Amino acid sequence: MQTIEFPMRRYSESEEIDYLIVGVGSAGGVLLQRLARAGFKVVGIEAGPFWDTERDWVSDEVGSHQLYWEDLRITGGKNPLTLGANNCGKGVGGGSVHWAAFTPRFHPSDFEVYTRDGVGADWPISYWELKPYYELLELEMPVAGPPWYPWGDPHSYAFGPHPMGGVGNTLVRGCTNLGIGVSVGGPVAILSGSRGKRPHCIYRGYCIQGCKVGAKASTLITHVPDALAKGAEIRDRSMVSHIYHDRKTNRVTGVSYLDQDGTEHFQKAKAIIVSGYAIETPRLLLNSACDGHENGLANSSDTVGRYLMAQAGNVILGRFDEPVRMYKAPPAHALTEEFYETDPNRDFARGFAIQTVGPLPIAFATQMMAARGCWGWGLRRIMMDYNHWSAFGLLGEILPWPGNRVTLAEETDQFGLRVAHVNFDLYDNDKKLIEFGKEKVEQVMRAAGATEIVQEARYAHLVGAARMGKDPATSVVDGFGRTHDIANLFVCDGSILPTQGSANPGLTIQALAARTADYLISQGTKIFNSDKRDMTSPPVRRELSPPGTHGTGVPRLR
Amino acid sequence: MDTLHDPSSDGRETRRPADPKTGKSLPPLGQPGYYPGFSTLNQQKFWDAATRERVLRRVNDVPPIRFFNPEEARLMKMLAAHIVPQDDRQPSRRIPIVPRIDERLHQGRIPGYRFSTMPPDGNAYRLGFEAIEKMAKQSYGRPFQELSWRAQDELLKSIHDAEPKEGAEEIWKQMPVHRYWALLVQDCVEAYYAHPWAWDEIGFGGPAYPRAYIRLEHGEPEPWEVKERRYEWMAPADSVSDPKGPDVAAHSEHPAHGQGGTH
Repeated sequence: MQTIEFPMRRYSESEEIDYLIVGVGSAGGVLLQRLARAGFKVVGIEAGPFWDTERDWVSDEVGSHQLYWEDLRITGGKNPLTLGANNCGKGVGGGSVHWAAFTPRFHPSDFEVYTRDGVGADWPISYWELKPYYELLELEMPVAGPPWYPWGDPHSYAFGPHPMGGVGNTLVRGCTNLGIGVSVGGPVAILSGSRGKRPHCIYRGYCIQGCKVGAKASTLITHVPDALAKGAEIRDRSMVSHIYHDRKTNRVTGVSYLDQDGTEHFQKAKAIIVSGYAIETPRLLLNSACDGHENGLANSSDTVGRYLMAQAGNVILGRFDEPVRMYKAPPAHALTEEFYETDPNRDFARGFAIQTVGPLPIAFATQMMAARGCWGWGLRRIMMDYNHWSAFGLLGEILPWPGNRVTLAEETDQFGLRVAHVNFDLYDNDKKLIEFGKEKVEQVMRAAGATEIVQEARYAHLVGAARMGKDPATSVVDGFGRTHDIANLFVCDGSILPTQGSANPGLTIQALAARTADYLISQGTKIFNSDKRDMTSPPVRRELSPPGTHGTGVPRLR
Repeated sequence: MDTLHDPSSDGRETRRPADPKTGKSLPPLGQPGYYPGFSTLNQQKFWDAATRERVLRRVNDVPPIRFFNPEEARLMKMLAAHIVPQDDRQPSRRIPIVPRIDERLHQGRIPGYRFSTMPPDGNAYRLGFEAIEKMAKQSYGRPFQELSWRAQDELLKSIHDAEPKEGAEEIWKQMPVHRYWALLVQDCVEAYYAHPWAWDEIGFGGPAYPRAYIRLEHGEPEPWEVKERRYEWMAPADSVSDPKGPDVAAHSEHPAHGQGGTH
């Protein structure tokens, strides 16, 4: 079994550290590891606990609630998002602890949606700038997948695909009968064979309850151990309440945070990276309003909190005469991106993916309650049929809209901090895309042989709300995650994505974090003592990968 | 005219599912469902210690009622008996629902959000109780607990349909009826299907660490799982929660989102 080295290095609060990272999740874990490896004094402050996976995690739906961000948020708008277990993690590893771990790359087209389709936004960087980091992270997690992945920028995976479960059987059958290409056994950040000290997947199906096995990648097990070994510190159960700003220099100076006893601390830092994800990041920036930044830190553009995105995540459920037993195998193990790109024959821009999902009993019951209005004896009856159902997820691109945003509610949380209010509405392109996508997924389910099909409307993932862009008037951060307004304040997490494609965002978030880390390392102390913005792309530092990850795979001639 | 609902008649024949061939009610079972003899708890020696401890505590320790007052707890128990009826189970094999909901509300645990149109969960429960009593009085002239089983079921179905019977219009202005219903059913479902006896009923294999699942494809059972053996049953005659026909449409203008993350 793997162990994480304790005690770790401890910095004193009076010591000015180099980098303070707010939130040790998907991005925070990678940043911490890279910056520590490069020799910086780096501290991560994480609201949730440092997990002992064997003691704290269970193979149980209800028993895993502590993995999710359960503190109060208010959700509204015409199409309100459900939060918590649906998309928000808490604790070291963050969302990468409870993700299903589908890890497709974004397509090259995702980086230029506005140029191609006249909707959404362009990214300040291209796919090709991010590609080396996709390749690195696919080895660091690592990602298991088919030897050839045909969509977007076609590529291969070094680690072999997983066997299929019952849901994969039905997706492959449905797609094959309709002549639709399908990827089987990945891409998913779950070990198909053991590697180093990490064991392979045992197909127990509780991926989103936290992988006790250690086969599914989370930054808790892929990057945090190396970060600690290289001198990083993580302060867990500590909620950052405010980022301090010096009006004279227009630079941030440190943060205050509340530990698990409610005691307030202050930590000085030369630079701060906010990695709190698409709700807590804008919330902290807005809650840190001060003289000179009255509308929130780094919010001169009034863009902090705006352009929040979730993907359409409708679940289409089909009943089969023969049993499926969809609780076996990772919920994420087969998908198609055949409908990902804009198709001029359709009356909307962009597209969607179709993926396997494997709801466990409570999730399934909740879906049946929503999709079929089940209750009482009808609910008991449908649940007795649980083993006959299969479930596919639509993953559809919803465009960024300024009105979909995080603001501060009047209500406060247990720390006295104003909680986030999340507003979410669908617009015309989104609605057309969802209708078309739903119909297509139902066709696949029917072609697979389902005799009854129902669907639940829902949303998956969260990105945006502190987007990156070239223009400081319409974005919060530049292409490296540095805020346009404050030279030593960065944002690096899902909230900087300008658009989201139809790919699960986890891999892209970690790849962006590795790229930002390379940038910071290249800039050296300039970040700490200069306000000049150097936009030169850094060299890719493959040597910063955790040991034994980069450089594996098939040997090639140099 | 409605017959008085006698709480001591819990489990009486007309409230049990029936055999569609004979019309006779089926006897209460230790384990309903199509997987006779399957027991997840029998596999507990193959589970990890933390999971075993958590699941056994759920089976053996039922928390005391602390949030609801006795009257609220009594009403809540009746609501739970309609939302997840268990009259097909032997009394000793029924799964406690209300103590789990009470525990959550007592601890102030929420799923990480509240709809902007909804009051806090505890208030929502209390407003819901008030609404149900007002509807019962207005539509039937009696408290909810004195209504026949069928009248109770119909009253709840009107909430399910988002077309509540008259009497609580003021409350539904403060709390959207479809959101209240989703809250109520979600909590009941979460209590019932968290229990290993419910896993046995539906043939769900349950915890599989560190042993693993081996037979992944085509719905094949593990050597320790059992094959399905179906039987026909129909819902009790005085229940309206299992309508014939393919589908009870969800309220499409008010989709009730699930809370679970699936992808």
